[in-house]
Amino acid sequence: MLGEFEYLIVTSAAGLGDKAYGAAIREAIVVATGRNCSIGALYTTIERLEAKGLLTSRMGEATPQRGGRSKRMVRVTGAGVRAAKEFYDAVTRISRGAAWAAD
Amino acid sequence: MLERDEREVVLGDLIEAGEGTWRAMLAVLGLILRREAQVWKFWRPWIAAVGLSVPCSFLLMGASLSVSRGLQNIYVSSHASWTSVVPQALLLAGWSWTGGFAVGSVSRRTLWVSAVSCLVPCIFCLSRFRVESISPACLLLFLAPAVWGASDGVRIGRIKRVSAIPLALAVTLLTFPTLHIHGEPWWNPPRWLIALTLTWPAWYLAAMSTKTPQEPDTRHWETR
Repeated sequence: MLGEFEYLIVTSAAGLGDKAYGAAIREAIVVATGRNCSIGALYTTIERLEAKGLLTSRMGEATPQRGGRSKRMVRVTGAGVRAAKEFYDAVTRISRGAAWAAD
Repeated sequence: MLERDEREVVLGDLIEAGEGTWRAMLAVLGLILRREAQVWKFWRPWIAAVGLSVPCSFLLMGASLSVSRGLQNIYVSSHASWTSVVPQALLLAGWSWTGGFAVGSVSRRTLWVSAVSCLVPCIFCLSRFRVESISPACLLLFLAPAVWGASDGVRIGRIKRVSAIPLALAVTLLTFPTLHIHGEPWWNPPRWLIALTLTWPAWYLAAMSTKTPQEPDTRHWETR
């Protein structure tokens, strides 16, 4: 099963769709969790998820906002979607009856 | 310390996020440290640094000393002859090259750690070397072929079967005469164990040469 941070990355990438790349995923995680997300943790986890076949990545285009440097575009695979669903279902099931889940 | 594509992506992300110089440096350092740490979750770096470099450097220093003594005997006295020293020298070169090649090919990314693992025993032995008739540098005869082998290991990765199997056979055949030095039986455990420890990299290279080559790694960032 996915880890918490892996789930955050897969879900952010799925939500961003064709615009999913390192900085955008990082921003989405920071906004959603209110926690810092280091570049080291992000890229090593993306690499791990790629090795598991849950994500694919390719070099994208360069933009002026990035000083003319390329992006690493990320796409969630079918296996990634299934793994994220499995994690979500497990968290939802275990949260039933919890005081904070009733809100 | 990062691959070209990765450097491009990470710098772009940092510029886009508007990170300051220090925070950007810490972010890059964090990535490098995480990447280096991740490599050590696999067996290859441990085999290269702990399983090969440390024991082989100790044993190869012993073999270097033995060759140096043989050469010294030829010049100083008439008891020794080239016929006993040349096979030893060839064997030392073979052991060193195959050991270096195995270290380089087993874990390319951690070669610097393997190099340190090789140098630490060397420094330890050099600091305690007290034989007046032989220069301490004689302990390091194995270093040149070992460095050459490591460089080839990193560059080539594996050698062809037509070279690897004859090389392993030659190293093994050269081992037998050295097992009989001073009339000691070949089954003498320490000498036998030393020979086995130093010969297995040659057979590892032979075994690797028989495997079907894998597809080249097309990922941007090599983890091996």
